[in-house]
Amino acid sequence: MANVTNSRTKSLWVTLGVTLTLLAGCATKPDPADPAAIAAYEEANDPIEPLNRYFFELNRFADIVALRPVAEIYDGILPAFAKDSLRNVLDNLRSPVILANDMLQGEWDRAEVTATRFGINSTIGVLGLMDPASGRGYARHGEDFGQTLGTWGVAEGSYFYLPILGPAPPRDLAGFTVDLAFDPLTYIWWDHTEYSVARFMVSGVDLRARNLTTIDEIERTSIDYYAAVRSLYRQSRKAEIANGHIDEDDLPNIDDLE
Amino acid sequence: MPNVSLTFNSALKDLVLSSFANATRAIALVAGLAFSATFVASTPAMADDLENAKAFVDNLASNAISILASDNTPEVRESEFRTLFIDNLDMRRIGLFTLGQYARTPTPEQKTEYLELVKEFIVKIYSGRLTEFSNETVKVLRASPKGKKGTQFLVRSQINFTTGREPVSVVWWLLKDGDSFKVFDVQVVGIWMAQEQRAAFASVISKNNGDFNALLSDLKRQIGEAPTDTQAAAN
Repeated sequence: MANVTNSRTKSLWVTLGVTLTLLAGCATKPDPADPAAIAAYEEANDPIEPLNRYFFELNRFADIVALRPVAEIYDGILPAFAKDSLRNVLDNLRSPVILANDMLQGEWDRAEVTATRFGINSTIGVLGLMDPASGRGYARHGEDFGQTLGTWGVAEGSYFYLPILGPAPPRDLAGFTVDLAFDPLTYIWWDHTEYSVARFMVSGVDLRARNLTTIDEIERTSIDYYAAVRSLYRQSRKAEIANGHIDEDDLPNIDDLE
Repeated sequence: MPNVSLTFNSALKDLVLSSFANATRAIALVAGLAFSATFVASTPAMADDLENAKAFVDNLASNAISILASDNTPEVRESEFRTLFIDNLDMRRIGLFTLGQYARTPTPEQKTEYLELVKEFIVKIYSGRLTEFSNETVKVLRASPKGKKGTQFLVRSQINFTTGREPVSVVWWLLKDGDSFKVFDVQVVGIWMAQEQRAAFASVISKNNGDFNALLSDLKRQIGEAPTDTQAAAN
């Protein structure tokens, strides 16, 4: 019996492996005689695009059948204060990770803001349910190790899109893993992975619920939704790494547009 | 004995560090003076431009808000946005920029058709996307020149929501156009709109092995599909 299951699992893995290899292998290299195509290919920096698109469609399907409906119900049923409280708790739980990355980036003022927020919101804010710190001049901000690597000059790498996780180019995927190690809850909940999974899922629903119309509108109005999301992801990461500062030299040169 | 040498060492280090800091400060001061001298020399026109750029954004934003706030039918609203966009956006440069790497591939006829379609596409798409910002006030923060020619400007602003939603940061990339300005691109929460479209346009063409007509037909489809009823689209 064990043997049967084993070989079944094995053949499943083989099938999956073959499928993925085929999909990845299908990546169409640009026509070497067409300079525009080559330049566009390099600009996209998405060498396994067919596989990425496959996972993208998979996630889109999961969004349609599960995430979006749940987020809609969540958004419709819960009163605003309950949604805000949940978001505050989730944010507060992330403080240690944000603090570690503030410090690794040498952003001492922001580290102080994060530490103070955690102190105020965990006590006066009743275990993070409320966010009195924002009203006291300590506004919320996010950080993660992918951004820290970015400030250290690590390039993002080729685009990579994963099931469930979404856009995860090498730098940000590495960052995601390191952030797990920074998070005290990883160790506190070591024997209760289900808590961490639940937290991940609730965060996802909260994020989706806060962007119901925005995401729908982008999907509806994009002539290539996948490519639009790729650009949105890269641009917003760049802005997050720069903490909102715009590097003029980084903006495209438009002197030749006539 | 080791204690003494330790104290001495740290005293020496302090001395070195502080004289280094003083030197840096002096250099910074001189550099600052030199910089402000050149800056002052070339400012009067520039200062006017910066103020005018801020006023332009302020005016454009309040026009957009009054269109959104009116009780007009969606058709009327879209036609108001059409006028506002065509008057204030540099449609030709936007269209050429969003072609990206494929700017040289279309025939003159295809290019003319493309530029017309892009104009329509922008009107449809962005009058729809703007409905999200119907409860807002725009605060213009500051303007700065972009590049050395004095023809491009970045204006920072912030959208505040009456609903208590977190403020959204918006940056306007303006090109000088005679006495006034035209918008080339707008950055909302870190995302430049024209760059997003450029990525999508390039992808459509490359997916279709460089066939420019694929982009034209996708734009046509999108323009046809995007309902004129922007309100219904938001709901």
